[in-house]
Amino acid sequence: MARMTLSGIKKSFNTTDVLHGIDLEIADKEFIVFVGPSGCGKSTLLRLIAGLDNISAGEFRIDDHRMNEVAPSRRGIAMVFQSYALYPHMDVYENMAFGVRLMGLEKAEIEQRIDEASKMLRLDPLLKRKPRELSGGQRQRVAIGRALVRKPKVLLLDEPLSNLDAALRSDVRLEIARLHREIGGTTIYVTHDQVEAMTLADRIVVMNNGKVEQFGSPRELYERPANTFVATFIGSPRMALLDVERSGNNLALAGSGSLTLGKLPAGGERELVIGVRPDALTIKTDASAEGFKGSVIYTEYLGDNTFVYVRLGDGTLVSVRADDAIDLKPDAPVTIQVAPDAIHYFSRSTRERLAA
Amino acid sequence: MARRLWITALIVPPLAFVALFVVYPIISAFAYAFFQWHGLARGEFVGFANFYKVLFTQPYADWTVNAFTHNVLVFFALMVLQNGIGFLLAYCVWRELPGAAFHRIAVFLPVVLSTIIVGFLFKLFLHPLFGVVNISLRGTGLGWLAQPWLGQGSTALWSLIIANAWHMVGFPTLVFLAGMQRIPGEILDAVRMETESEWVKISKVVWPLVAPSATVVFTLLFVGSFNWFELPYIMAGVDGSPHKSTDVLGLYFYRTAFGDQSGSGQDFGAGSALAVLIFVFIAVFAGFITFRLRKREIQI
Repeated sequence: MARMTLSGIKKSFNTTDVLHGIDLEIADKEFIVFVGPSGCGKSTLLRLIAGLDNISAGEFRIDDHRMNEVAPSRRGIAMVFQSYALYPHMDVYENMAFGVRLMGLEKAEIEQRIDEASKMLRLDPLLKRKPRELSGGQRQRVAIGRALVRKPKVLLLDEPLSNLDAALRSDVRLEIARLHREIGGTTIYVTHDQVEAMTLADRIVVMNNGKVEQFGSPRELYERPANTFVATFIGSPRMALLDVERSGNNLALAGSGSLTLGKLPAGGERELVIGVRPDALTIKTDASAEGFKGSVIYTEYLGDNTFVYVRLGDGTLVSVRADDAIDLKPDAPVTIQVAPDAIHYFSRSTRERLAA
Repeated sequence: MARRLWITALIVPPLAFVALFVVYPIISAFAYAFFQWHGLARGEFVGFANFYKVLFTQPYADWTVNAFTHNVLVFFALMVLQNGIGFLLAYCVWRELPGAAFHRIAVFLPVVLSTIIVGFLFKLFLHPLFGVVNISLRGTGLGWLAQPWLGQGSTALWSLIIANAWHMVGFPTLVFLAGMQRIPGEILDAVRMETESEWVKISKVVWPLVAPSATVVFTLLFVGSFNWFELPYIMAGVDGSPHKSTDVLGLYFYRTAFGDQSGSGQDFGAGSALAVLIFVFIAVFAGFITFRLRKREIQI
């Protein structure tokens, strides 16, 4: 069992506040991903959970035991570092054995655990190698193996894929997903890559500027982003945000015309932000069609998808997923139509989601 | 072509300098050791007689053993005091214990001082009547500990060793600190995830990873200990007083070759033989140490 509770966690370095009160409730066996742009505090939060840095204020509990003052090695947590941090003077076997020996386990138990982990991670033929004799992917597996042999209650991974080349990344990602299924411990994974976050997580913590913007399943984050930050951070190409004026059921975009919809969120706010993903838009070359007017900037052909980038009248750039057959020259005038059900509404002042 | 000329012009003068003032004297000392000498006048070729004399005939044999034993003691004592404390200081500075910024500089300052000054200062400190050491001891009620530190055989050599350790401790500190700073921070974090024992961190991870810097520190200490001359010469005099209790190979060789304070007993042949023996001993062992320690070096 490893349920984790973070309440009001703050971190300051000297006078700079890095985390401004984080509250999270993480269930046992969950795969949690912290995602956010660099500098958002996600790695700092991970180091606080590991115990490598001190918590400035707030309380962190594992299974109702306060952890704030507990040494990192006594928290039942293992961590995989971004640079892997293998001990360069020890071979693969020793790297894995080091920690479990310090836990005071019996020799037979140690051997059995290393054997198990090295089979699972295909490290058998590498046990006598030094870290410098391994490739990046192999080092990564050793780092994971070293964490797993300790049978931790919680496994932390700090940007584990960032030092691997693109081809290896998706392999290792699948591997990590498989390992979590097989071992089933609580896992926290830090990344700045939303694709990693979406594919691996049970629930995602989206962070920005030392605060949690939203905590939810990948589907929730994609379908019901809590604010404009989450809306644009999750999904690729990113969601376009349009500043519109409401009058009745009509939404007007400066310099681009307007759109009349059957239903709008309640509330009297005149100024709204609407978010539209590439899928929610269709492109029409017919100038008389209803919708927002704009002109083509360029077309991105990706084989399975074609994205057309269109500059609307107010200067906003939107991407539209289009038909492969479409052939648009730059500067061609087009009309963008929006699927009403796929519009996300946000308040212009608070940038928060408005209930539809 | 101009480039070659440049390189030649830059290499030749220092090479000539080294040849004239280093290589030539070493080779001449080898040659001198095989001749009999009357003052500075060369006599007849005597083969290994000079070597036989300093190693196996009295009183030379006893003096040789006495001086050599002291060098060995100095080497091991400095290994613990100078390198051991240097390592601990480096660790404290590296982990940024309180006062680290001050100590990073303070520890290294004495290294810059000339040995003459350090020797003279410690002679003053250790003066039996007016020295700050004995005065402090008396002032704090520890008067029974006050000693004529440099005037008795039981404390003289250790006083020199401590003076030397104080003087040079900054050097191993600096080298070890540089070695520690090469260790990536995440490796240290990884150890912290596995143990809270400082001893395990130091002995199992930090020490093995700074071992490459230890090679140079150990080798230089070895060479320095067996070439030890200036500090004992300044603090104890050329006779290794009192009663040869601070005699080391450097002083002994100097006395034998050039005569003691009374100017008597000069034997250039025996002196050269000693110089050759010291040189060969240091070269062989230093080579061995370097070779053995190199094998343990680790690429980070």
